[in-house]
Amino acid sequence: MTSLYAFVAGPLAWAAFLFFFGGLCYRLLSMLRQVRQSEPFIFSYMSLRYSLRSILHWLIPFFAMGWRRNPILTGVTFIFHISLIAAPVFIVSHVVLWDEAWNLSWWTLPDAVVDVMTLVVVAACLFFALRRVLRPEVRFVSDASDYLLLVLTAAPFVTGFLAYHQWPAGPWMTIAHMVSGELLLALIPFTRLRHMLSGWLTRAYIGSEFGAVRHARDW
Amino acid sequence: MSKMVKTGVFVLLLLTVMVLPAMNVYSQEDMRAVDSSAFDCPIRPPAVFAHDDHNDTAGIDDCARCHHLFDDNGRKIEDESSEDQSCADCHAQEDKGTVPGLRKAFHWNCKGCHLQQRTGPVTCGECHVKK
Repeated sequence: MTSLYAFVAGPLAWAAFLFFFGGLCYRLLSMLRQVRQSEPFIFSYMSLRYSLRSILHWLIPFFAMGWRRNPILTGVTFIFHISLIAAPVFIVSHVVLWDEAWNLSWWTLPDAVVDVMTLVVVAACLFFALRRVLRPEVRFVSDASDYLLLVLTAAPFVTGFLAYHQWPAGPWMTIAHMVSGELLLALIPFTRLRHMLSGWLTRAYIGSEFGAVRHARDW
Repeated sequence: MSKMVKTGVFVLLLLTVMVLPAMNVYSQEDMRAVDSSAFDCPIRPPAVFAHDDHNDTAGIDDCARCHHLFDDNGRKIEDESSEDQSCADCHAQEDKGTVPGLRKAFHWNCKGCHLQQRTGPVTCGECHVKK
């Protein structure tokens, strides 16, 4: 078991980070290449100011008209994404590992807060899945991959919650937590979860076009 | 039995009950967990650690394997050990120069060795067992 842990925490973790960061770089380059091939004029009006203006306006909950149209979905989306990022980055157990491996450390959230955030992520995944089943207009554009992505996203949070509460006792839930987290990281660039990168670029593009070309607001 | 004898027996019994646990602190056989009293605010249950059973199983005779001593340049002093000191005498709450903080020192000492030897607990919940 210790050897398995060493493998999952060693080579497998390196592979996951390599796929994650390498994959995101690859995605960025291939997106830029595609734009240059098919619509190179976009580069002529890309603007940092209008990009940031659009991103900032859309970062504020319920500010953009698009956020107001579905207030419940918007609320769930915001607390889901905040929890999804903050819980793994600021949980003590992870910061301790960074500290002991690389001498890197930063401030942490209390375990009880992260516990609630973890449940928020899992509950939000259930909400998104239910929405796909119950809303006809969403069901129409959903297929198996949409549900698989939700399972992939929720898995490290479910296993992390169980490992923290030691249900069951022993190493296996922690190993499952590590493997599911590594799988998620590695697959982000190669699934629609890459919106973690492309989402910002989409806003930058639309913001630039509305700001510099149409002279209109895009929120 | 006179009242004085009764009182004497009671006081002796009370003293025994009070002193016995204090004596156990120094008896490694009864050690079941790492002493976490030096932590300002411990956030995990103390790590399970049966000192003598562990060392029998692991075949550790050399006290300095864990109770090490380092010189000012961060080099381990061979043939000297530190079991007369508490870990917290050298390891503060936070890292200080090359001296790791108490939490890091415990983790490196226990988990580091377990990983090296490819045996022993390494995941959080195996040592920090919730009651």
